[in-house]
Amino acid sequence: MSQQQQMQLGSKERSLFKQVVEHYEAKHFKKGIKFANQILTKNPNHGDTQAMKALIMNAQGNVEEAFVLCKAALKNAMKSHVCWHVYGVLWRCVKNYEEASKAYKFALKLEPESQQILRDLAILQMQMRDYEGYIKSRRMILQSSGPRGKNSNSRQNWTGLAVAQHLAGDLYDAERTLTTFEETLRNPPSKSDNEHSEAVLYKNTIIAEMGETERALDHLEAVFKNNLDRTAVMEMRAKYLLQLGRHQEAEKAYRALLERNADYRAYYDGLREALQLGTSDTESLKTLYDDWAKKSPRSDTPRRVPLDFLEGEEFRKAADQYLQQMLHKGVPSTFANIKALYSNSAKRDTIQELAESYLNGTHAPLMNGSSEKHTTGEEDSAPEKSPFDMAVLYFLAQHYNYHRSQNLAKAMELIDRAIAAQPDEVNFHMTRARIWKHRGNSRKASENMEKARSLDEKDRYINTKAAKYQLRNNENEAAIANMGKFTRKEAVGGPLGDLIEMQCMWYITEDGESYLRQGRLGLALKRFTCVYDIFDTWQEDQFDFHTFSLRKGQIRAYIDLVKWQDHLREHPFYSRAAICAVQIYVRLFDDPQLRDESLNGLNGSLDKMSPSEAKKAQKKARKAREKQEQADFEKADAKKTAGAGVDGESKKEDKDPKGAKLVGTAEPLVEAMKFLSPLLEFSPGNIAAQQVGFEVFLRRKKYIPALRCLSAARSIDSAHPRNHEQAIRLRRTLSTLAEALPPKISEALEAEFSPLVSPDADLLEVNSGFLSENSNSAAHVQASLCARQVIDPQTADDNQKDVIRTLALPSVSLEDAIRGLDLLKNWKAQSKYQEDYVAAAHERWPEATEFSSKQD
Amino acid sequence: MDIRVLQAADIPHVQSTNITNLPENYYLKYYLYHALSWPQLSFVAVDVSRPKRTPYDPPKIVGYVLAKMEEEPENGIQHGHITSLSVMRTHRRLGLAEKLMRQSQRAMVETFGAQYVSLHVRLSNTAALHLYKNTLGFEREKVEPSYYADGEDAHSMKMDLSFIRAQVDGEAGDEGDEVGDMGKKEDTEAVPDKAKGKKRRVKMGRTLGVGDLVERNESKT
Repeated sequence: MSQQQQMQLGSKERSLFKQVVEHYEAKHFKKGIKFANQILTKNPNHGDTQAMKALIMNAQGNVEEAFVLCKAALKNAMKSHVCWHVYGVLWRCVKNYEEASKAYKFALKLEPESQQILRDLAILQMQMRDYEGYIKSRRMILQSSGPRGKNSNSRQNWTGLAVAQHLAGDLYDAERTLTTFEETLRNPPSKSDNEHSEAVLYKNTIIAEMGETERALDHLEAVFKNNLDRTAVMEMRAKYLLQLGRHQEAEKAYRALLERNADYRAYYDGLREALQLGTSDTESLKTLYDDWAKKSPRSDTPRRVPLDFLEGEEFRKAADQYLQQMLHKGVPSTFANIKALYSNSAKRDTIQELAESYLNGTHAPLMNGSSEKHTTGEEDSAPEKSPFDMAVLYFLAQHYNYHRSQNLAKAMELIDRAIAAQPDEVNFHMTRARIWKHRGNSRKASENMEKARSLDEKDRYINTKAAKYQLRNNENEAAIANMGKFTRKEAVGGPLGDLIEMQCMWYITEDGESYLRQGRLGLALKRFTCVYDIFDTWQEDQFDFHTFSLRKGQIRAYIDLVKWQDHLREHPFYSRAAICAVQIYVRLFDDPQLRDESLNGLNGSLDKMSPSEAKKAQKKARKAREKQEQADFEKADAKKTAGAGVDGESKKEDKDPKGAKLVGTAEPLVEAMKFLSPLLEFSPGNIAAQQVGFEVFLRRKKYIPALRCLSAARSIDSAHPRNHEQAIRLRRTLSTLAEALPPKISEALEAEFSPLVSPDADLLEVNSGFLSENSNSAAHVQASLCARQVIDPQTADDNQKDVIRTLALPSVSLEDAIRGLDLLKNWKAQSKYQEDYVAAAHERWPEATEFSSKQD
Repeated sequence: MDIRVLQAADIPHVQSTNITNLPENYYLKYYLYHALSWPQLSFVAVDVSRPKRTPYDPPKIVGYVLAKMEEEPENGIQHGHITSLSVMRTHRRLGLAEKLMRQSQRAMVETFGAQYVSLHVRLSNTAALHLYKNTLGFEREKVEPSYYADGEDAHSMKMDLSFIRAQVDGEAGDEGDEVGDMGKKEDTEAVPDKAKGKKRRVKMGRTLGVGDLVERNESKT
């Protein structure tokens, strides 16, 4: 408390205040509030007490009330560092780091000696990556005195400054800081001092980062023997030796690493470089790997890697041996481990020939490989088939199910043979489900995966697969019921609540995509927003480690965390959900009617009604929605009171479980930006991200950013059909603007865009040129039809008919066909055309669920 | 399949692998807590055979071991603990679990001077029990009744690691010869390994984050 604030209280209140602080720290929130109230009845305007009370309320989850009270506290005690400090904490908790840092700085001005405020500010600066500020704060902490004496006596304060300097790019200063501390050590640290051992390696990485490899190596040699992180010192030393061209020593170093772990490709690569073996010197390479294969009979790597570089007859020999060994062992991942080779068609064909020869029994058995134990892990294998035969059937079924070697009829025949011999083998049924998936039959795929699950109900892996296939078949209820067999029974919000709490990204995303396919946009947005929120949590998760790691002393791991966090949202978990969410918001912008429809399963049906019917249906839908919302709120309220725990702390209740609020947004494009900005910042190389970016910017009339997305998409894949469609639409938009663009913008835009599509171009002509050049590709034809629809809406009828025609193209894929149907739906095509389309597609893909009538 | 030490960027897929295979699941922060407290002890098995499709492809994790040191060991005997270990069903029979465990165990000895390693396994999980007991050499200590959330009992198992200590000491000697006389001057008087700093009580469960194990930040004095 500041002196001025203390003066306002009597001695009894002063001791009460102390207790408020203590109760807060011990998380006795109710008691804390009680004592605070006692002070406030006597001194209703006592700022520090109000601030403390606000802090406790915040901890209890009453964020808004806490802010109100804290602002009142500030009014009463503008000069109190406590009030400003609490104000900063409140902002910090709502993740407004800018405001929080301002408040902390103000508090610090009032109380420059406060270690606590200084540390809070420092952590915040680190979290915000304000490295200049962080260096300043770290230096101040180092120079001041804490509760345990001079801060400069403690290693972690020096390391803290060094980390700040390192991350800011001041490598030289960072090293000097670490050295300065080392020099203060009077006694050499003990051999088992982990913190010291780690600090030395941290310093070593900084020296190496400066590019001074020679010095880094010398420094490392001096600590090599006694350092506690053996793997790290050995890896670093080997790397330095290699970089310095000291090949013989590097060779030894990599051999020593391989002795420890013969299953790490990076070590083999290092050894190969140390031996100066070119990739073309296949004979020496093969010998090298063979040596290690002999030395480590249980390692896959030295056996598998040669298949990457061998060719022709050499490849056949090696592949034959590898496959026979693995299949004799009954390793189920054999196909997964080998399929990457299929990008080379000669290798693919060789493997197919080999596997077929195993099946027919026309192969030459291995000299020594067949002495391996014959086991498949299944006790009850059928007598007429050997485990090897079963493994071959399984391998070949997967082979013919793979897109580079696909023959689905053959795959099905083989897996059925395998199942006939061993009806209870989970893996076989799993593959059968995958074959159905590739045939486009999501219903049968789901049924088969469910069958696989039923054969091993205690295995979560197969349970997971079954749920995933159910989601792909839009059986959301069945999927969550399956997942519920392994979630915690006591979880708030049932199985889904547990999956969300446990950050089960795949499920949340697949559930969202399933709802998106069903047109239930509210629930879809709900799930994608959930993914977004989990990324926020993950980002926030690093917060505590800014102090934790300095204390633990594992600094290299901490730096690894910080660097990973800097590009956290490039993860496909994020981009996949974000792209879907942006697409939904674009649709909501284009068609606000969807808000009501999507919530009540009316999608598309309105168009078939007369205007007055449609109006009635919409009104009914809105009423139903409002009623449902009300019911949901009431339920949520009931739960809230029931779920309130000790000290009145309650789990935040979801007030919008169906995403009605999300889908009802008045500003879909603003919401879209929330997902889009990180997408473009962290995954600029993702073409789908650039494409949805274009759609948002075009609608927001931000033509330069739209063009930037288009250009980025073109540089990622110049042949992508949507490039053309989007270019045409951008030109069309620009040439039909009601108001001309400001000259500067127009100039900047045209400098880049004119060479692509000239402003004077006849768009219909450009488009038909594109169409005739790409008339064999369904995706390109679809793109040009989309463009034509925009240039000349009169062509709508032709476009719809022409989409149907794409189904006759020899190269058309199931994916293309599904996209074509989506196109017709988006255009709100005449129902007769939609029916014709589905009928034609059904003929071509009789198994595909998308094109089967609902009845069968 | 690479076997290598776990890095921060691996964690989302380690978490996915865990929730795909096992009923005991954790927040991302709990993985971070392991990776930032004992970064040498956790390992992953990564499928590196397939080429990257986008610049953002995360490593394809097919197995992991998440391990720690006991923070407050009884009698001060340093020992490791396996928090979680699993391998995708599609990648079984490659010996990955064993390899992951062996790497982790050696690091426990080398880096933290562990004398033994402990773990829990479901009574019904015969495959895992076989791995621990027969392949790796764990011994059953006792049964812990209702150890798991669903009420199932656990075997509490233990494995002595002194054989690794002997190996490591032997290797260190060899390496010393190979690389010359470096390291000699480091051998000063043996300072006893006294407790460094004060130990803190750490409670980590599914419902607790690192927030509960770091000092209060917002205390007022």
